[in-house]
Order: sequence, then C-alpha cells, then structure tokens
Amino acid sequence: MKINGVAGALILKKSDAGIFLEGLGRDFRIIAPRRHLMGDIMFGAIQCPEEVVWDYGHDLYPPKRFFLPHYENLFRYRYEAGGVELEKVKDAPQQAIIGVRSCDVSAIQFQGGFFGSPTVDPYYKSRLDNTVLFSLVCNEPPRKECFCICCDSGPYLDVGFDVQLTDLGDRFLYQIGSEKGAKATESVELLLTKAEEGDLAERRRIEAHADSRFETIGYLAKAIIFTSENRVPEELWEELGSTCFRCGACTNLCPVCTCFTVEDRKDADGYFMRCRSWDSCQFSGFTREASGHNPRPTFGSRLLRRFYHKASYQYILRDGRHGCVGCGRCITCCLTDLGVPTVIKRVRRELPEYLEAQQKEKEG
Amino acid sequence: MNGVLTTCGFCSCGCALYIEVSNGCIKGLFPSVNHPVSTGRLCIKGWSLTSSITCADRLRTPLIRRGSSLEPGSWDEAISLTVSALRKSSSNFGVKSLGVIGSAKMTNEECYSLVKFARSVLGTPNIDGSCRFYDASLIQALLQTTGIPASEIEISAIAKARSILIVGANVRDQLPHIGSRIEEAVRNGCQVVAADPRTFTIAPHVRLFLHPRPGKDLAWIRALLKTIIDRKLYHEDVPKMSGFSELCSSLNGVAMDRLNDETGVDPTLVAEAAKVLTEKSPPVVMFGLGVLQQSNSTEIVKALANIALLLGGSVIPLRGHNNAQGSSDLGMAHDFLPGYTPLSDSEAMRAWEQAWDCPLPQLPGLSAPDMIRACEAGDIKSLLVFGENLVLSAPDPRKTVSALEHLDFLGVSELYYTETAALADVVFPACSFLEKDGTFTNIERRVQRVRKVLEPLGEAKSDLWILAELASVLGKSISRDPVEVLAEVSAHVSQYADVSYQGLDEAWGRPWQSNGAKRKFAPVNGHSGGRDPEYPFQLIASRIHFHQQTGTMSLRSPVLSREYPEAFAELNGEDAKKLGLRPGSLITISSRSGSLARNLLLNDSLPQGCIHVPNFFAGDSPNRLASYECDPSSGVPIYKGCAVKVEAVK
Repeated sequence: MKINGVAGALILKKSDAGIFLEGLGRDFRIIAPRRHLMGDIMFGAIQCPEEVVWDYGHDLYPPKRFFLPHYENLFRYRYEAGGVELEKVKDAPQQAIIGVRSCDVSAIQFQGGFFGSPTVDPYYKSRLDNTVLFSLVCNEPPRKECFCICCDSGPYLDVGFDVQLTDLGDRFLYQIGSEKGAKATESVELLLTKAEEGDLAERRRIEAHADSRFETIGYLAKAIIFTSENRVPEELWEELGSTCFRCGACTNLCPVCTCFTVEDRKDADGYFMRCRSWDSCQFSGFTREASGHNPRPTFGSRLLRRFYHKASYQYILRDGRHGCVGCGRCITCCLTDLGVPTVIKRVRRELPEYLEAQQKEKEG
Repeated sequence: MNGVLTTCGFCSCGCALYIEVSNGCIKGLFPSVNHPVSTGRLCIKGWSLTSSITCADRLRTPLIRRGSSLEPGSWDEAISLTVSALRKSSSNFGVKSLGVIGSAKMTNEECYSLVKFARSVLGTPNIDGSCRFYDASLIQALLQTTGIPASEIEISAIAKARSILIVGANVRDQLPHIGSRIEEAVRNGCQVVAADPRTFTIAPHVRLFLHPRPGKDLAWIRALLKTIIDRKLYHEDVPKMSGFSELCSSLNGVAMDRLNDETGVDPTLVAEAAKVLTEKSPPVVMFGLGVLQQSNSTEIVKALANIALLLGGSVIPLRGHNNAQGSSDLGMAHDFLPGYTPLSDSEAMRAWEQAWDCPLPQLPGLSAPDMIRACEAGDIKSLLVFGENLVLSAPDPRKTVSALEHLDFLGVSELYYTETAALADVVFPACSFLEKDGTFTNIERRVQRVRKVLEPLGEAKSDLWILAELASVLGKSISRDPVEVLAEVSAHVSQYADVSYQGLDEAWGRPWQSNGAKRKFAPVNGHSGGRDPEYPFQLIASRIHFHQQTGTMSLRSPVLSREYPEAFAELNGEDAKKLGLRPGSLITISSRSGSLARNLLLNDSLPQGCIHVPNFFAGDSPNRLASYECDPSSGVPIYKGCAVKVEAVK
C-alpha cells in the first residue's frame, strides 16, 4: 500500500468494519472509543468490533495517555552491595488507535516533536513508533466547545495522520497518510476499494458543512501577538488567576501539555520504582526551587505561563505550531471559566482598556 | 486497561470518576462527563486521589503489640486477641465498658454493619462516628426544622438559585463543585450573601460579605432572623407554620444596639442581608464547619434553617467526609438508630430488635469525645476504632493520647500507621475504597456505587470483612457480602428502601426520599461566652485547599503535600504591629489546652483580634488549641473561636 492523497483515497464499507478490525487485531492491540456505564465515552482496548462507538462525538480523557501515561512506571531499582540493580519496565505494545479526532492527532504530532528532540524520550518514542493512528474526521464539530478550526488542527487533516477515515454514511473514505499507515493497511487491503468521484464530492461537502458549524471561536492571532510581546498587563493575569480553582484539570486534559513529574516510590519488596506522572505548571510546587524561591509565585504568573505556552512565537518557532489544538477540553473541565477561548477573549478585548487606564493614570 | 467507574473518596460532593488499572498498577484517572456532580470536572483532591492510597507504607499485615512494640502477626491472632479482650472487659465491667468509633470514610455497608456490631453483637450503646468531631451538630438541628438532616436540593440546583447565603464555609477551596455552581448561579443573576471572619476567594462573586468575629455567629444570625420577622419579609403563610410563635418569642432577647460590639457585624449590614435574601427569595442557605464547631452550633444550624423556612428556601449543609451523609443515615451515632430512628421510639426499637434478633441497649451511649473522656476515667476498658485517627481529629492530642493509653485494649483498623494506630494493641490493615465494593451517600443524599478497582494490598481486608469475622467468633452473624448488607439496609431503613446494587448499575443513584418530612420552625436560644483577658485572640481554625481531614491520605500525595511546604498562621498587620511581630517570624499560639508554633504571615483582610491557623500535616493542627469542651446539644467539640494568645517565640 502507498500513501495517497484525497484523490487516491480508498473506500472501506461499514459492513466490513468488523472484519477490518479483526484483521488489524492480529497485529495490533486495538484501542477505540467505547461507551461505558451511563453513556460516558472513553478510549480503551476492545474485545470485539461491536464495542466501537463510531459516532462517539468527542471524549474527555485525551489519547496522549497512550504515549505519555497519566501514571507510568519507568524502571525499578534497588541498592546492592556492588551498586545499583536496575530492572527496565517494558510497556510499549503494538497498538492501533481507531477513531482519534483530528485535534488529538495534531496534539500527538506536537508531543512527538517535543519528546523527540533535542533529547529523545525513549519511553514516549517507543510507544509512538509502535502505534498507528486511525483518525476520524468530524463531520460536525462534536461539541459546542470545539474550536480546532481556529487552531489549524481540524475538523479534518491534510497531513499528520497514519490513516484518516471520513464517515460517508454506509462507508468510510480511507486515506493513507504515512508509511506506518500504509504498512498497517497491508493485512486488510482486500477490504478496500478505490474511491469514486461521488465519494470525493461527498467528502468535500462534509468539509464545507463542518467548517460552517463551529460555535466557539478562539481569536488566537491577537493573543499570539499580545502574549509573545509580553503586552498583557500583570494585573489582568492576576485577576484571571485569582479565579482559578487550582485543580490542574486544564493541563491534565490538554492533549498538548507535556509537563510531568517523577517520583521514586518504595515498593513493598525493597525495590524503588521510578514513576512518572502528569504534573501541572498551574501548581506552585511545580516550579518552586529547592531554595524556596519560586519563579512563578502567583496564580497570575502561572496562568501567564500556561497561555505563553498556548500562544507565543517561541513555540511556533521551536515546535512548528502554537500549543493549542482547539479541542475545548479546558472549557469542559474547568471549575470556573478559564478555558483558552475565554482567556483569549479577555486578553484581546480588555487589553486596550487596561492600556488606556494606565495611560490616564500616568497623565493624571 | 479499561476504566472502572467509582466514587471519589475525598469530599462529600461524591464525584464519579473512572480509574484505569493495568497489571495491578493505576494507569489513569478521570471524571465522568455524564455524572450530575462531576460533569467532566474534578478538584485537585480528586485528581490526586490514587496517589494518596497506594503508598509503600500502607499496612499490609495485622500488627500485634508485643511489649512496647507492634509486630506483624496473623489475622487469626489479631481477631482472637480482639475478641478475648472484648469478652474480658464485657464480663468484668459490663457492656458499657466497650466503645466503638467509626469513620465517615467507610462505605454504607460498613457503617451499618459497625452499628449492628456495636449494638447487637457487643450490646453496647457506645457507638459513634467521626462526624462527631466535624459536623454532627447539624443532625438534630435539621431534624427539628427541615426534617431532613441532609441537603434538601441537588448540587446542580445551586446553579439556578436566585440568592444564596453561605455561612462559615470556604466553598471554593473545600467543596469546589459547590463553589463552581455558586459562580454559575452568579453568572445567571444570583445574589450571594456570605459570612465568615475570613475573606474567601468566592468574594468577587459575593454581593454582601459579613465578617463576624470567630465563634460569634449565633448573635448575628439571630439578628437576621429577627429583622426578617420584625419587617414581615417572610412568605404570607409562614405564621401558620408550626413553631412560628415559639421562634418569634425565642428572639426577644436580640439586642441590635449591642450587635456590633458583640459580633463585629453592623446591624445595617444585617438589614441589607435580609433585603437581598428577600428580594431574591427563595434563597439557598448553606453552611460549613465554620459554624458547626462552635459552642452553640446546634442553635446556629436551627437559626439558619429557620431563615430558609421563613423565605421558602432550602438548606444545604456542607459536610466534609465522603460518606458523612451515609454514616449518619445508617445510625453511626450514640443517640439514634439507622434511619434517624430515635432511641425513645419504642415501636421502632422493637422492630430493630426483631431485625437484629436480640435485645438492644435502650438508652443513649457516649458520644465519641465522651468515650475518650471515659477511657481516661477508666469507665471504658476496650475501644475499637475504625478508620479514624482520633489523636488528630479529637481536641487536645495530649489528653487524647493519655486517655487511650489508659485502655486495657485498643483495636484500630487503618490504612496507614497513624498516631492512633501507634497506641493500639491490635492494628487491622484495612482496604482502601479502591479495593472493595460498596456505596457512599453524598450530601445530596445520592447513594452511589464504590467499585473495586485494585486487589487489596498485602493482607489488607475490608472493614466489613473484619466486622463479620469478629462477629462470627463472637457467635453472631454479619454478612461479608456488601450486596447482602445493602439488601438488609433497604429492607429496614425506609430512606434506603429503593436502593439496590442492580439499580445503581443501571443509573446514577437518586437522592433518597424524605418520606414526607414536615418543615417546622424551632426556637433559637442565644447564649455566648465572654472574653478571656489572658487569651485575647480568637482562633480561626481552617484547612488549606490541599488538605483533607487529618491528612492521612492527602499527606501522601506528592502534589497535595507539595503546595504549602511550611505551616503558617495569619494575623492582621495592625495586630502584628501592636505585638511587635514581624512577618516571617516564628510565633507561639497558645490556649489553656495547648500551644503550637507557626511562621507568621500578615493578612489585612482578617479582622483584628483574630488569628488564622490552618491545619497542617503530621499533627500540626489547631485542634491542639481546643479543649474537650463541646456544644452541649450535639457533643461536637468547640474548635472554632477558641481564646488564644499570640507571642514571639523566645
């Protein structure tokens, strides 16, 4: 199989999706959206193809956890007379993640870059190398909080996926976007046929429709300028920061955020386990130095940090994109109203007012 | 590694969350989106839940005292030692020499079985729960007024409130889901009146913030009641409600002219509060530990409930423990049986005797603080403590330790080697709620499933298993199966009649029904203590955002324990100046009971004459400043508003 553009796309009939997944399942652990008790959706390993919820909308717990687990054991060690005895923990299965949304694929690409250079994180890399991403186009923004269209990360992708599926009713348009995707397709290629012009026209109609349906807007361009040039007054960050509930959910559930902490936990058998878990720049303890000095001592300074990462030139230059993919999870999970679009709106709208007031104060 | 749905074991909001486990290790944790409380959100404690529970220092085997040390032993030995100690005390000194104290962190099935164990297996009336050290003062007060010793409305309904009165609760920090709903209500046009000595982060959303002096809430709340009644701001049918005239006459002594001197609250602000709450009636009245641990907390809760009743509003008591509600519902108290059945109700008593197939003690037993006192006096000889670190949750740790040392036998069931476990003769290694099945009831009265996520660590067993084992050796029967226990609860406790495991697997639990509870007014009597010139400051005891209860769990979370590395106390700058204290200096705060040292921070939003001392880990708790003096009606120790003095460390 070869990488193909929209023009060379293939078709997978929905009636064949089960056989397709069973075929893939011979080489890969299949991770897909599943419906749990009382309707909650989450990605997890499936036992049979019927478990896959193709029209799942969007999930809350981002797929970054399949590469950077929320809690992860890196290695075990114990002190011996002759030195240290180390045991590696191997946890990078061959897996295919089915139905990942475009925003999350963009986020994984971003994280892959972050953990891939200049120092390679072997844990992240081995999982990324062993994973094939089957992304699923959003025919409609799945939730009102979505704003990927403002972040160049959805509702469909031109590049960056291994395989991209578009739901065309009784069939999927099947685009191969990488060598990994092409290789994974080999075992199931008999199920795929060439797409017709009508399929491609339907895909174009879906794109236009999806583009027109976004309710949330994140005015990133202005925010990028203001935060990069450090023009947002400290008072505004402090005012916004004072409303934070300090739960850390915005960074936990952000598919782009990469912060983690490590801790050596003593096991009952005398070994120590080096554990890595998600952490958050929104906590004072995250940046407090051993001396007690904290470079980000206030809520405002930590909020600024978060938004500097989401929208500043520095990251665009270094990582090729700004640090927000518009998935809207930070809106859903926030106990107050500090999701990216709200903060950006405040920065964009109120900055002129702040500057005006400051000017008046100077004159007065 | 697919997620298992369970209920958070930290606070009483009862968020639903999923925990992912692979090869016995926790890999992930995240909130349910569809659950009516969590709605895709968790507070930092919820996010840090699992890291607090599976630490290496979890107890993995029973510990048995051999001389001065506790050493690992077998379950058989632990159980048989406990049973023979209980038998010995009982036969030598009678059943009143036995005491049982449980925790509101236990599951409903365990709480119920603990009550059954104490009352029917041991035959002792001395059974109480940890709520006695926190919020038990609301139970009798609400039974006398709203008739429901619980929240009258669901948490989601707060967002639709027209006005809210918040008294003595740092809602954004302690119960973030409530704080979040209040903000939502304000965005929808709700007006909020708050009262507390401190100014909280909810302040930007508050229309009127009163700052009474610590421990002086009853006086201003009575003044508010009197204002509403004198100005006839209540609903027109209110005078027809039962108890109205008694309420009115109980308020005769309210002196508006002395209010400011007495409480620090100006009467014009009280009038303003009455105006806001009536203009935007019906209000939601909520209150927390700030007013539940004072010398007259029962009266305060009655007064607050009366306000809700006068204005047609509803009451939400803000409780701390994850299963404070369930443990109370199922009778973990010295003065009532499951379902809030009064001990004086002889017909109900007979029904329970039939259900448990034995005669039951007829009179109230000792409350938890009284049991500790009785240990010191030698009246209680054997005490069983399940899941509560008494040395830190009771007042005056020196007195508590000395009382527990007087015992012939102390049995403790715990996750970790706590200060209380260290004094025990036998320590049972308990399962955390991640290692067992059961149910918790949140403050909305919603009974929710707790599901087993992990295998028990080491030889740990659930409290239910331990109780069943003890009962079996004592020749009685308690089921080890939570499904059977819940079926027994639903057969005998009317509030839980509709609750079953099958039902809870098909839908989120529903708040239990109040069985036609009648609302009525209760008289509110005023009394307040004088000042102690030798101890001129009043204590504001609190908990910081990242801590929970005595810290046994939160201390062990790397994130929670990291945020505030140093314990501190706060004073108003003017007070610090008068005392010649500099910020950052080490100060001693002392009362007639004890003292502690803290680093001083200045906080000018605190009223003068107060010192704010938050709870810190490892026993560095303002409880050290409290004595065993209690609210006379509820027996809850007075932790708030204690008289203290402040000095530089010499």
